[in-house]
Amino acid sequence: MVAILISLNSLETALASEMIEIPAGPFQEGVPNEEGLKTIELGHFSIDRFEVTNQEFANWNKNHSSHPETEAHPATQVTWQEANDYCIAHNKRLPSSNEWEKAARGLDGRIYPWGNKKLKKKAHPFHSGIVKRKVGLNKKDVSYFGVRDMASSVWEWTATDREDKKIIRGGLWNHHLDYEYGKTFDIALAAPERRFIFLGFRCAR
Amino acid sequence: MMKFSRRTFLVSLAELFTVFLGLFGFRSSAKGADSDVYTGTPFIGKTRANQFQEFYVNYWKPFLRVDGERWTLRIHGLCKKPQTLTLNQLKAFPQKTQSSRLKCVECWSAKAEWTGFHFSELDQMVAPLPEAKGIVFRCADEYLEAGLREDLLQPRTLMAYAMNGKPLSDGHGFPLRVIMPFKYGYKNPKAILEIEYVKEPPYGTWSKIGPYSADGTILPGYDHPLDQGKKTRKIYGGEIRY
Repeated sequence: MVAILISLNSLETALASEMIEIPAGPFQEGVPNEEGLKTIELGHFSIDRFEVTNQEFANWNKNHSSHPETEAHPATQVTWQEANDYCIAHNKRLPSSNEWEKAARGLDGRIYPWGNKKLKKKAHPFHSGIVKRKVGLNKKDVSYFGVRDMASSVWEWTATDREDKKIIRGGLWNHHLDYEYGKTFDIALAAPERRFIFLGFRCAR
Repeated sequence: MMKFSRRTFLVSLAELFTVFLGLFGFRSSAKGADSDVYTGTPFIGKTRANQFQEFYVNYWKPFLRVDGERWTLRIHGLCKKPQTLTLNQLKAFPQKTQSSRLKCVECWSAKAEWTGFHFSELDQMVAPLPEAKGIVFRCADEYLEAGLREDLLQPRTLMAYAMNGKPLSDGHGFPLRVIMPFKYGYKNPKAILEIEYVKEPPYGTWSKIGPYSADGTILPGYDHPLDQGKKTRKIYGGEIRY
């Protein structure tokens, strides 16, 4: 029994640190409007399949606190520098905004990671907007390349600057307690020193 | 069997009276741009009338207007030096003015210039115990809200007693309210009677009964600013600085 538990834990750890290969080549970037999408050329890179969890982040930063039983939830309340340092310590880096978009959008310019149609399931069951679930729990939120949680989980830091802020990607939009899935081209900005309950990250290489 | 305290009885009377006024269209003699259903009565409560279309007023329950002459702020709980302070004593703290937008979880927002003092002034005075991580506010409308002490100590948090250069109106929280512009309006309690230092902040009134997060951080989403014709715009989360 103990052996099974250990192997299950190892499997979870392995899955959590798994990376998805994104092949070099062009992809369609930007907001689908009358100006049309732009073709962007990117080199090969890899990106974490899941967002970094509280457990993973706490293993590296002993000061990171989270509520009991949220070990497998995405790590939040993390500054850009902390996220960047975590990635570097794991021989990775934060993805650029374009890399993030390609990993979510694939090669066909889709609106959501899973395609062009909204999911029937509500974007957020708790109405509070605060993500309270394990990474990878939404089985439908899978991107073209197999990356998880790029539209229905927390927002994520990227390495890209805009104005004096960092571009963040992929989280929910609150419309009077009715939450919208993030779209693959949606962009928000956050000051790098801020910590937010809705903002986490994943790494690339 | 339900027990009625004197306070519960008075508030219930106030509610009945307000409903009566509303149902039968009674209005005070002070008609005009400033009047609403509470004008000319001893009560105050949620309103969208007239001037308040520019800055909505939400309250949990209608309540008797606070008498500033008799009002005191009680600060107690996990601290070494509990205090009871008058409004004049609070006004003696170093004054701070900031322009900030109040964003309601209902979607609307409105901007004002707030004047008051930083929470650290009270914090230093009462000498909190090390285990006191949470702060509870109890208000005249029986609203309860709570937050982390570290959020109250943020530089943009203000304990406000004036709005746009005038003492807070009853609607906007006379005599004292919290302004935390990075949290939704329900985390900005008004007409505060009491502050208690606790180990961990409990759920507030709305997070306990409604779908609102206990944290209350403004999330990326949509805003309908009253001062900009409610025109829909996207916001990125945290304080709205425009």
